[in-house]
Amino acid sequence: MVGRRLGRAADAVALGAVLLVLAAPVLWVLLSAFKTRTEVAALPPRLLFTPTLENFAELFGRGDFLDYTWNSFVVAGGSMLLGLVLGFPAAFAMAWHRMTWPATATLFARMAPGTLFLLPWLVMFTSVGLTGTRTVLVLTHAVITLPITIWVLLPYLEGVPRELIESAQIDGARAHQVLLRVVLPVVVPGVVVAAILSFVFSWNYFLFALVLSGLESKTAIVASFNFVGEGVTNWGALMAAAVVIAAPPLILTMLIQRRLVGGLAAGAVKG
Amino acid sequence: MVAPALVFAGVMIVFPFGYAVWLSLCEIALGQPPRLNGGANYARLAADADFWNGLRLTLLLYVISLVAQLVIGTWLGLLLARSRWARGIIRTILVSPFMLPPVVIGMMAIVILDPSFGIANWILAQLGLPPRLWLSDPDTVILTVAAIDTWQWTPFVALIVMGGYLSLPGEVFEAAEVDGARGWQRFRRLTLPLLGPTLVTAAVLRSVDLLRFFDVIYITTQGGPGTASTTLNIMAYRRGFEFFDIGYASAIMVTLSAIIFGSVLAFARLRRAVTW
Repeated sequence: MVGRRLGRAADAVALGAVLLVLAAPVLWVLLSAFKTRTEVAALPPRLLFTPTLENFAELFGRGDFLDYTWNSFVVAGGSMLLGLVLGFPAAFAMAWHRMTWPATATLFARMAPGTLFLLPWLVMFTSVGLTGTRTVLVLTHAVITLPITIWVLLPYLEGVPRELIESAQIDGARAHQVLLRVVLPVVVPGVVVAAILSFVFSWNYFLFALVLSGLESKTAIVASFNFVGEGVTNWGALMAAAVVIAAPPLILTMLIQRRLVGGLAAGAVKG
Repeated sequence: MVAPALVFAGVMIVFPFGYAVWLSLCEIALGQPPRLNGGANYARLAADADFWNGLRLTLLLYVISLVAQLVIGTWLGLLLARSRWARGIIRTILVSPFMLPPVVIGMMAIVILDPSFGIANWILAQLGLPPRLWLSDPDTVILTVAAIDTWQWTPFVALIVMGGYLSLPGEVFEAAEVDGARGWQRFRRLTLPLLGPTLVTAAVLRSVDLLRFFDVIYITTQGGPGTASTTLNIMAYRRGFEFFDIGYASAIMVTLSAIIFGSVLAFARLRRAVTW
């Protein structure tokens, strides 16, 4: 009994240490975003200070950061929707016909380095005059969101009873009606997970927007990276930008925590 | 119903991939159409010390990070499973690192690891240790990057391990208890083999991301100092988009893709070997 209790205490201490190591850097960024210019670089660090919003005022006072944040929402939302519109019917057909090769093929996009696609895309989009638009970012980010959507939805769709669909077909429902009125309501939880993961991954994605976005279509992620490149000495403003771009993914993933890891690993188990 | 997705994948994934392979076989001079040059880009690759340096750094970063994440992740995952600790606020802390945008991870590293004003060196000073040039010492920069990635992704591995462990049949462990298997014996002979497929899954996911690692390096060091953190993906990017050496950059990217696909296939075979 004593041994078991000691073991538990040791476990708790170890876990506490791990959580501290994981949380401390994130909290440090969060605190720094609310410090004044002089406090933020002060050593020894000030843990007690009067929080200020001046960094956020400066960040959004530059005017364009708000536009870039909006761009991020448009691109992440758009590619999430495109991924669902393309991926939901495709995943349904794959589940219905028990055919998985198209799903396996999409894993290809998940494995290849993003740099590989960039040069061809640049040529393709230049030839149709789309470079520097948000449309380009929505299309390219859908290369990320489509495999996520398909692989997250597949197990949900495989669980839909076949009789349900067959009886709807006998009643004379068309394919898209079956899809939207019969199947969709049953797999809403899966769609929510797919949508949130797609949005977050598109929001976070750096490389495609780094090369393919223009001044007008720049995302908040790329704009924040540019702050680093400009050698911004005001760490407070830098950390405020970090907090702004970190908030949506953290808040959204809190909603689906239990299904998060399964969703991320989908495809690696079967594929 | 698969057709729209297939058309999209054809235009956005398959065609560009073929195009990149073709570019890698071409000589491309500004203002002239690409001209096939019979694998000269690949011959150049084999003779380029920068390429071998990039390959070495890619594999070094890969092996160090993967081993660290699997070992610590297994330990942490079993720790979480023992008391079903991954709940509520604890789960939030665990998932936060790998859900943060890589740009935020990079900014975090720059500020915390700054040699003069960063808190990391201040903590070292309090412990009586000499300061370190975390991101600007050519000998250790790749270790710093590996440590950052390990910080970010070990919780992910741990949660996969926890899930895998909790789905194992409980009777096996009860039987082992009766047989008197404890501690290390039990872990080595029972837990580890049973977790085989789970660990391979985690390894595949991390391998793909580690071999094509780009974001955090590009944000913190751009491949420097010098070429001390120029992994293959960083090298390909810089050749392509900073020097516009398109054919050569494509050859690097195609080679890297082949390495990644090769590793995934190897793990697929390994999974069959460890499946019980």
